[in-house]
Amino acid sequence: MKNGFGIFLAAFVALAASWCGFVLAPEKQLGGATETAVLNSSDTYPLQRPGDAALGLQVYRANGCAACHTEQVRQDGIVASVVLVKPGKNPEAVTNLMSTLKLAGLSKEDADAAAAKIKTAGGAAEVHIAATGPDIARGWGMRQSVAVDYLYDDVVQPGNLRAGPDLANIGVREPDANWQLTHLYAPAGVVKGSPMPPFRYLFELRKIGDAPSPDALRFAAGYSLPAGYEVIPTPEAKELAAYLLSLRANAPLHSAPISP
Amino acid sequence: MSDETKTANPPGPEFEPSAERSDVPILVVVITLVLLFLGAVYFDYKSAWFNKEVYSPYTSAEQLEAAQPISGAAAAAAHGKQVYELVCGVCHNTDGQGKPNQAPPLAGSEYVLAKGHDRLIHIPLAGLSGSMSVEGKDWNLNMAPMGAALSDADLAAVLTYIRSSWGNKADEVTADDVKAVRAKLGSRPQPLTGEQLKSMPE
Repeated sequence: MKNGFGIFLAAFVALAASWCGFVLAPEKQLGGATETAVLNSSDTYPLQRPGDAALGLQVYRANGCAACHTEQVRQDGIVASVVLVKPGKNPEAVTNLMSTLKLAGLSKEDADAAAAKIKTAGGAAEVHIAATGPDIARGWGMRQSVAVDYLYDDVVQPGNLRAGPDLANIGVREPDANWQLTHLYAPAGVVKGSPMPPFRYLFELRKIGDAPSPDALRFAAGYSLPAGYEVIPTPEAKELAAYLLSLRANAPLHSAPISP
Repeated sequence: MSDETKTANPPGPEFEPSAERSDVPILVVVITLVLLFLGAVYFDYKSAWFNKEVYSPYTSAEQLEAAQPISGAAAAAAHGKQVYELVCGVCHNTDGQGKPNQAPPLAGSEYVLAKGHDRLIHIPLAGLSGSMSVEGKDWNLNMAPMGAALSDADLAAVLTYIRSSWGNKADEVTADDVKAVRAKLGSRPQPLTGEQLKSMPE
């Protein structure tokens, strides 16, 4: 090979450049990420997932949930609104002023200006900020996902395809463990027309013994099991449900500001 | 065999094909540089130069700051409250009233409301031990130097917060004030006693 060294050098530079771009730069940018403060509170975010939820992440991963579900919410902007906190000593003047002002669907600057006007009139107003975007309109979260949301996830499961809904805050939307478990056992029995495959191998269908198990799933009316049988979740199913309940990416953060 | 047919013969097994060096067309160089430039501009626009706090749809730290629900002086006050509840509120209580046998009140305390800041700044930086009187009541307790581990800005925010909350009204403490006292105290200050504190200028 006549230009062996040149070819080696070119290949080395190409690989080193992509390594710098895909490994070194993100590591430098986010490698030192730590827990951050929740906006205007003394809480920190995120909290370590409880032990069973941390195990549930591995069940989530093993069952390929990320093939159909994402855990990342997009946002395309914010919208501000003005909320009266105290009418003050002259409530009539404040109410009259407020009837002339636009109070919702504002930019942050306009909302600040309106709040300042209300303050001058003697009242006290707060500017509330909400995130906007298609995902947020679907009710999949209050704000966009940011890197710190995944701080304690070993093997992050952001997903890239949405055959099902986004799960970034499923623990807020469906906070009931029984809902999560019955939905895993019989998705279409819980959400009508759901194309999700049932994960029945995470459960055990068995004859009721002397007394029904306290762990048995409680199905909604309209879904019936064979008479004398009950469905018991395996530890994996319980861990997966605990993980889903721990997905609550809703806290207002400095990097993703919203009003609590 | 004529010469013409000889040249048309296929090359033998020992033949090594080779390419001559040639210059890269200047247009390719220009287009590459323009693309690199546009890419850099795009990165700058989208990521505020890799600022880890800034995510799309925000394109700069200023824009993100302006979008905070509370900004400016109100944000500093909120930060002071936040640090207070995390560090001080456990003993002095979140309402500043203190807790019996744990910590004296801060609301209305003559040490908190003093005209100058220096004596107040000494307390969280050096700690206290022994008896002292606050609002006419005797307290015989120890306080660790809780503020020593805080940054100048955080401690200043906390002290400003306790001087302006729960009915307290006194001017703000700046990070420079804290820095000056910290430099004066050195790295390992001894806890102050009640008498030392009392005789200390405000």
